[in-house]
Amino acid sequence: MARDPKHDVLFEPIEIGPKTMKNRFYQIPHCNGFGSEKPLSQAHFRAMKAEGGYAAVCTEYCSIHPESDDTHRVSARLWDDDDIKNLSLMCDMLHEHGALAAAELWYGGPHAPCMESRCVPRAPSQIPSDFEHLTYPKEMDKDDIREVQGFYVEAAKRAREAGFDIVYVYGSHSYLPQQFLTPYYNRRTDEYGGSFENRARFWRETIEQVRDAVGDDCAIAVRMSTDMFMGEAGTQLERDCLPFVELCDEIVDVWDINVSGISEWGEDATPSRFYESGRLLPWQKAVKSVAKKPVLGVGRFTNPDLMVEAIESGSLDIIATCRPSISDPWLPRKIDEGRLDDIRECIGCNICISRWEIGGPPLICTQNATAGEEYRRGWHPEKFEPAKNADNDVLVVGAGPAGMECAMILGKRGMRRVHLVEAGDDMGGGMRWIPQLPGLGEWARVVNYRKIQIDKLKNVEFVPNKRLDAQGVKEYGAEIVVIATGAYWATDGLNGCTHDTIAGADASVPWQLTPEQIMFEGKDVPGESVLILDNDGYYMGVSLAEKLARDGKKVTLMTHLGHIAPYMHFTLEAPNQHRILHKLGVEIVTYHMPTKLEEGRVLAAHVYDEEEHEHEFTTDAVVLVTQRRSDEALYRELKDSVGIDALAAEGITGFYRIGDCEAPRLTADAVFSGHRLAREIDTDNPEVPLPFKRERRVVEREAVLA
Amino acid sequence: MKVVVCVKQVGSLGDEVEFTDDERDVDPDYLDFALNEWDSYAAEEALRLRDVAGEGEVVAVTLGDEDTEDAMRRALAMGVDRGVRVWSDELAGADPITVARALAEVVRAESPDLVLCGVQSSDAVQAATGTALAEELGLPRVAVVTKLELGNGTATVHRELEGGLVDVVEVDTPALLTIQTGINEPRYATLRAIKQAEQQEIEVREPGDLGAPSARVRRMFVPPRGEGAEILDGDPAAIAGRIKEIVEERLKA
Repeated sequence: MARDPKHDVLFEPIEIGPKTMKNRFYQIPHCNGFGSEKPLSQAHFRAMKAEGGYAAVCTEYCSIHPESDDTHRVSARLWDDDDIKNLSLMCDMLHEHGALAAAELWYGGPHAPCMESRCVPRAPSQIPSDFEHLTYPKEMDKDDIREVQGFYVEAAKRAREAGFDIVYVYGSHSYLPQQFLTPYYNRRTDEYGGSFENRARFWRETIEQVRDAVGDDCAIAVRMSTDMFMGEAGTQLERDCLPFVELCDEIVDVWDINVSGISEWGEDATPSRFYESGRLLPWQKAVKSVAKKPVLGVGRFTNPDLMVEAIESGSLDIIATCRPSISDPWLPRKIDEGRLDDIRECIGCNICISRWEIGGPPLICTQNATAGEEYRRGWHPEKFEPAKNADNDVLVVGAGPAGMECAMILGKRGMRRVHLVEAGDDMGGGMRWIPQLPGLGEWARVVNYRKIQIDKLKNVEFVPNKRLDAQGVKEYGAEIVVIATGAYWATDGLNGCTHDTIAGADASVPWQLTPEQIMFEGKDVPGESVLILDNDGYYMGVSLAEKLARDGKKVTLMTHLGHIAPYMHFTLEAPNQHRILHKLGVEIVTYHMPTKLEEGRVLAAHVYDEEEHEHEFTTDAVVLVTQRRSDEALYRELKDSVGIDALAAEGITGFYRIGDCEAPRLTADAVFSGHRLAREIDTDNPEVPLPFKRERRVVEREAVLA
Repeated sequence: MKVVVCVKQVGSLGDEVEFTDDERDVDPDYLDFALNEWDSYAAEEALRLRDVAGEGEVVAVTLGDEDTEDAMRRALAMGVDRGVRVWSDELAGADPITVARALAEVVRAESPDLVLCGVQSSDAVQAATGTALAEELGLPRVAVVTKLELGNGTATVHRELEGGLVDVVEVDTPALLTIQTGINEPRYATLRAIKQAEQQEIEVREPGDLGAPSARVRRMFVPPRGEGAEILDGDPAAIAGRIKEIVEERLKA
């Protein structure tokens, strides 16, 4: 297939300073958990995007000095010669694919707690971070300003030496240059504070110095937030940003334009729950209307038509993607080849971002199980080895995300026949109804992408409306059987707080309900008031609270945790979800756990009240979001009652389970589980994952002892 | 209780298409092959009748070369008892009446209680073979059947008409019925059944004298883009005004 001519503009080269991008696809700086200290993972992860057609690929935020140390979160670092060596590998691999390499030079100020370096960060004013609690900066005097600007210059030289083509002076997300520009952070009264010219001075001088040092060899990029959504105190488009663009346009080669500060950067990395693609276009267009230099920016672009519109409407010159490039590193190539229905579209769940926010772990992706596994497991998102046991037939029972992924990858690995057998009338499992929760419509892409792929695979057949029992599995005629029957919400109140059921909990009565009873089985929520008990802590409890409040119910959301949905802080969904629930009048009760459910009321006690004083909450209905349980009846019957020997006698040589059927987990991990088994279906023991390559220092014992 | 069900392996086009060198057919390299969807409903209906009767035999008959046995085996995997394939090289590209003549010999030899065909095949979409076969066999036929109940020497069938109307017909058996999709839910074959069907013997027969063809394909081609289309440009009001003018001109003419 060939590219649709209407997308041609996306493949026109563009000059940025001394460099030329071969097309308009740019991977914006984003974290992956690898930094400079897992250089092979880093290089292979970024190179996959270059192989997939990106014209330029950036590091994550790249610290210029130990004073900007974000530990526990993982940044890249350009502190010394060894960092140059490690990051040069990424540059070399990008260059092999004809892509430019970019480094986002970063100084965090008070947001970087320096937990490893134990340095003291510097800032325009001595105010503790609004993002990283208990971190106080040193207020910079003029010597400090010169010194930190020197850090930028030295880091830029190191970036050039490593092979980077583009170097940033990064401000967005409330980092140092933007702190100087923003009254919220800058309360100075000297020539670096007060008027626009003064607030802009630090950033302008730093850009000038970096440009003088490396500008002949590297393009200079500036990433700026154009609205912090905090009124006069925050950076403002008209007051600060457009004048800044006019002031610095001559010394900047490319503008990277976004919005938000760091404490609510979900306004930039927008969850699909609240924002559609292209949310930042009005700000980007405003900058482009005054900038003579190219403007790039993100917008969770997955649809090439929207990308073309962004360029043709004069909003952007270069289409930057972050999450869509994680979900599908081959996005540009698939557009180029006209394979639009092969694009694995980002669902905007922000599970990738959650791993950075947690601090430490490598990123994961709901849609792309290979994200982050390029080096350590050697997985390529688009290339599959024929399985050594491809002459086998496979039965996958259950077409949820894990089963679909497993069947799809087994199909791509050339198994003779794969039957994906499902009790329901369509694919999707829990993901058939989860996207019907408020705001989660794009999550249906998990199902739709796989459905389209499975439909294309001639060796994979989907069999709906067939509930197999143990006998049916045994006699189905497959050599390999994979059980992927998913999980269900506990109906008896079993939970991770008390590790017990709750007295009176029983979702078979009309006034008690589980999430799937409401969303999938159509069970009516009786009465006017409903109490949702959330011991899960992710999206289910709050989503049902929003839905039922929108349906007109008086909703109480109770959790044993100190926050509702704490995991949604990591996915950047929490702030807006709090706003929505507050506006809808949902009553939130934290640190409480029911002791007894009765028709018409719930008795609950404070979790830190050893005396267990019970409070009464009157309610017409109770929704139990306590915990999920594996739907493992079929697996247990086959393993325990029928037995592996009897299965072997029928010719079944491989018997496995994947996804929530083994243990309930994030959708990303369920998909990974199905993918992992399919990738390793021809190993000696597919049940046990192969070891992955670990990047760590291995001690040369003799040398150390000598 | 013996039912013959006629099945066909159909080709479906992908995004690209090329024709054979003689320009009389689609190059099979550009086709995906499968059991015709209508025929899977016909096969299911035949199996249902056999299963309800608790005895009898379902025989699938197809016309095609050896490569078309995949579709036949699909029907066998569903539970069809036996398969017969008719073929000679002169049948390549045959018209529906010639196909019906070739099938008729086999069907007649089986002397079934009922003959079921799909309404049409998804590739040729002529809906002619079933009706032509009824004519060749001298059987009464009902087309586009959406419900079927067997009586004693008769069958009561629902026939789909335009606009959601249903014609309820009683027909003497043996009869030939063409089966519409949606009449039932075709069963899926297990892997075991698919494997067993792979091993099953398919009887191959050569047709006798087929007579003169009633039609033949002279040429297949992608129709050239038409001339004379007028592309309207401008704002919506201007386009609407121009459309109004065109309609008025045509109404006068």
